[in-house]
This record gives sequence, structure tokens and C-alpha cells, in this order.
Amino acid sequence: MTESARPVYLSGVAARTAFGDHAGLVAGAFAGEPAFAPVTRFSTVGRRTEHAATLPGSPDLVDELVGVIERACPGPRASVPLLLAAHADAGSRALAREVSARTGVAGVSRVYTGACVAATSAVADAATMISTGRADRVLVAAGYLVEPSTFALFDAGRALSRDGRLRPFSLGRQGMLLGDGVAAVLLEAHSTTPLARLAGWSRSGDAYHVCKPKPDGTGLARAITGAADRAGVSISDIDYVNANGTGTTFNDEAEVAALTLVGLDRTPVSSTKSVHGHALEASGLVELVTTVLASGEGVLPVNANYLGADPTCALDLVVEPRRARMGYALTVNAAFGGANTALLLEAA
Amino acid sequence: MSAPSLDSGKALTSKVIPTIEGVTTVDAAAHLTPADAVGNVLASARWPESSVDAAGGDTVAPVAGFVVSLFNPLVAEVAERCLRAYYGQPPAARGERTAIVLASVNGDVTSADVVAAAVAAGVRVQPLLFFQSNPNAVLGHVAARWGLAGPVVCTSPTGDPTADAAACAELLFAAGDADAALLITADIAGDTGDRAEAVLVGARERS
Repeated sequence: MTESARPVYLSGVAARTAFGDHAGLVAGAFAGEPAFAPVTRFSTVGRRTEHAATLPGSPDLVDELVGVIERACPGPRASVPLLLAAHADAGSRALAREVSARTGVAGVSRVYTGACVAATSAVADAATMISTGRADRVLVAAGYLVEPSTFALFDAGRALSRDGRLRPFSLGRQGMLLGDGVAAVLLEAHSTTPLARLAGWSRSGDAYHVCKPKPDGTGLARAITGAADRAGVSISDIDYVNANGTGTTFNDEAEVAALTLVGLDRTPVSSTKSVHGHALEASGLVELVTTVLASGEGVLPVNANYLGADPTCALDLVVEPRRARMGYALTVNAAFGGANTALLLEAA
Repeated sequence: MSAPSLDSGKALTSKVIPTIEGVTTVDAAAHLTPADAVGNVLASARWPESSVDAAGGDTVAPVAGFVVSLFNPLVAEVAERCLRAYYGQPPAARGERTAIVLASVNGDVTSADVVAAAVAAGVRVQPLLFFQSNPNAVLGHVAARWGLAGPVVCTSPTGDPTADAAACAELLFAAGDADAALLITADIAGDTGDRAEAVLVGARERS
């Protein structure tokens, strides 16, 4: 940081996943009970898998975004700018306009569309706006609801697990599964009742490939050390890592390389995608909310669907419910194009 | 060729920034040019190069692995022209501290339409479309080719794309996550036809 930094507090969070609201999400994550089931929202005939983790029926993205924003920031929002994250398409401006109008926020500058780091990139920008005095309060909201086009794309790319389970870092993992995810967080410079403090954040690139992560993990490692440096904490102070953990061979191995490189291979790690699925542009925000709530409860979320140790994934995986104090918790995400983010939370 | 220093740029001409009804832009830098917002403009490039070229005189090089749509090759084309104008050959000097920001109002609408049509017809989607299913992918191509290992950010701006990309870069510089940024704006089949622009900017020196 080159400017005098103000603290960044997380004072409101909300999430909706296949578990329902975030209370259900945390219960599922703590217990390690996955929410995957055959998709009923559209036909999966001809696909290599039929599973995803979805809310009942056919929810509307705008309705869901408005709901989580109202829960994360129930008070007046006229002075609070909103940063949105969602899938890149021709409807982004209409989405921003409708969410802005229905929530009464101060405005929406942009929709972050950078795949699996879209929401966490928005959080990093919001944190910078607050820490540098550009804003006192910023809302970040993100949403992805499983739909047929993306399901077909990931199926065509052979990215989806065929056994109906997402098994991060596990022997026998077959890939990822999609999941509904809609979340919102309120970041503030001043809070009398914060849920957590966002102590550090950082972003980096791999400069390696269109879609594969850099195998040596150096890109993601730079984001992690950047977040720790900003927070002024040692890597050894980190008590838990909510991993990107997509359950795909290349991604998991590169992430293990990054965690090992920075010295987090003996720190408790789990990927909660194993229970709520991959919510793409919203995944990082769902995982941030999960980590904030887990930190408050003192319970480590479970890395579910684990079949046994993969020698290429030597981590301290949380495969059963475990209580622990989380003074500092890290959540990391990585995306196509070699984009990486790391967010470091300090318990309230 | 030795790369020029990051403080030898020039400012772009100011532009009138349009906004859309019902959506207020909020960043302090949202109505600024790249030069106003983040400091030094080091190089820029656009496609097409001129109105004459828009009639078919300008070309876009294909990018291996990207199919169906002009969007991704267009992004790669303006990035290549801009970086080549400043650095000559890859890799970029201080690439590890250079971010890439892509601002596109509508994204790759051609690929999205092709996928939607395939799904509606009940036929399989081309596997290559998976790799270009989000705007990050082509930036991975640019980053790998030029060694740009700073943050990668993609947005759909509600205001002017160039100003929004500059605002994003300004936040990256303020956060200390990058010292330079390649700002790309691209949209296909919009009101003004296919168009793309790239601007390489360096952060202002801070006292």
C-alpha cells in the first residue's frame, strides 16, 4: 500500500446456495454433507453428468441478489456503492440497472465478469476503496444460478465430475460440479459490531496459459504472500485456508504447490465447493461468507467427499468436523487466464 | 531492443463519457481518461485503425484455440499492437508488475449465441468453446505471450469502458498490486460495430 490505510471491516454477510440461506450453508459445510442432486431445472440428457447443487425450482437472479443485499445491508443504502459480479453477457447492464433500482444503492460502476475470481476481485477493489478513503461503506454482491448453457460448456470441456461428487484434493477426484451461489457482503471503515476484519488482500497473474494454472503454483503463491504482507502477519499465523479446490487434477495440484510454497501445507485446509458446488463468478463470495461465519463459530468447514490421500495433494485436509480457533483465515481463488486472488480475514 | 522506462508517456485526448439511464457510476475516477486517472499513457492501439480500415482494410490475426467469434482475436490483436509499439518484442519489461484489465459491455456475444443455439437444438457444444467461455481466457494468452504476471481483471462497465478500465487500474495501483496496466476495451456487433482499443499505462510516481 502506498497510501495511509484505514481498517476494512466485514459487518454484514448473506448467502444463498442449494442449502437455502447461509445458516443452512454453514450447517452443511460444517457437517460435510454435499447438496448435489440430479438437475431438474433443465434437461441434462446427453451430458456426462446430471448433477449440480441447486436451489429448488427456477429462482430469478435479480430477486436472489436483491434478497442477499437486503440481508447483508438492511439499513439505508443510498450512500453505499455496489460492486456486482456475474457471468459476462449482454445482460450485464440490465442486471446492474435492475438491482440498483430495487436496492436503492448509490450506484453500480461495473459488473465484474472475471470467472472464478470475479467476486473476490470486486472485494479487493472494495477494500482498496475503503482503506484509501475513497469510500466509507461498499457493498459487494455476486450471483450465479446453474443454467443450461454453462452446464453444456463445462460438460463439453469434460470438466464435470461423472460420479456426482466434487472431491477436492482427494484420491479418485473426477472434476467439478456446478452449484447455485448468490452472496453479498458489506465492507465498512467503521463498525461497532464487525463479523471480521479483512486484514489483507492481493491479486496476481500466472502469465502461463489460457485456462490451466501454472503448475508450480508461483502465481497463486504471490497473491497469498501479498495478502499476508498487507496484513502484516506471518504465514504461520494463518489458522485455516478455504481453498479454491475445484476437484480437477491440474487445478488441485497447482494449488497444493502454491500452498506448499508459502508454507501452508500443514495448516488446516478445506474446499467448501465440495458441498455447495462451484458457483463460478460468485464462488469466491460464497466461500468468503462461509469462512467469515466459520471463523465466528470456531468450526472448520469440512472438505467433503474425501476418498483417501492423493500423494500429489499432501495437505492437512479437514475431512471430519473439527473445532479450532481461527485468528486468521485465508480464502483463495483462481480462474482461467491465470488470475489469482487471496483474501485474509482476522476474527472479530 | 531495450524497453523504454515507464514514465515517458503522453496523455490521450479527453473524451465525453456517456452513462446509461438508471445506473449511476460511483468511482471518483469513472469519468476520467486513462491519463487523468492513473498517470502515464505509454502506448495505445486500436482496431480498426481508421474509418477506412473499418470497411475491411484492417485485419485480425487468428488465435490458436479460439473459434467461432471475432471477440477474442480482437482483444489479442489490440493487445499485441499496443505492447509491440512500446516493448518491440516479448517479453515485456517488468511484466511481473503489469496488470491486464478488460472492459467489455457485452462480452463475447457471438460465442454465447452459438452455445445457446446448440443447447436449444439439443446438439453437443464444441469443446473449444469451453476454453473461451469467459473473458479471462484470452487474457491468459496475452499474459503468457508477454510475461504479464500482474492481476487479471474483467468487467462489464455501466459507463464508458475506457474510463472504467482506467478506474480499475487506478485501484490496482492504489492497492500496490501493479505498477503498470494494459487496459483493453472491446465490443463486437454493437451500435458502433466491432471495435477494440488497448492502452498501456504506468502508475504515477507517488511522493
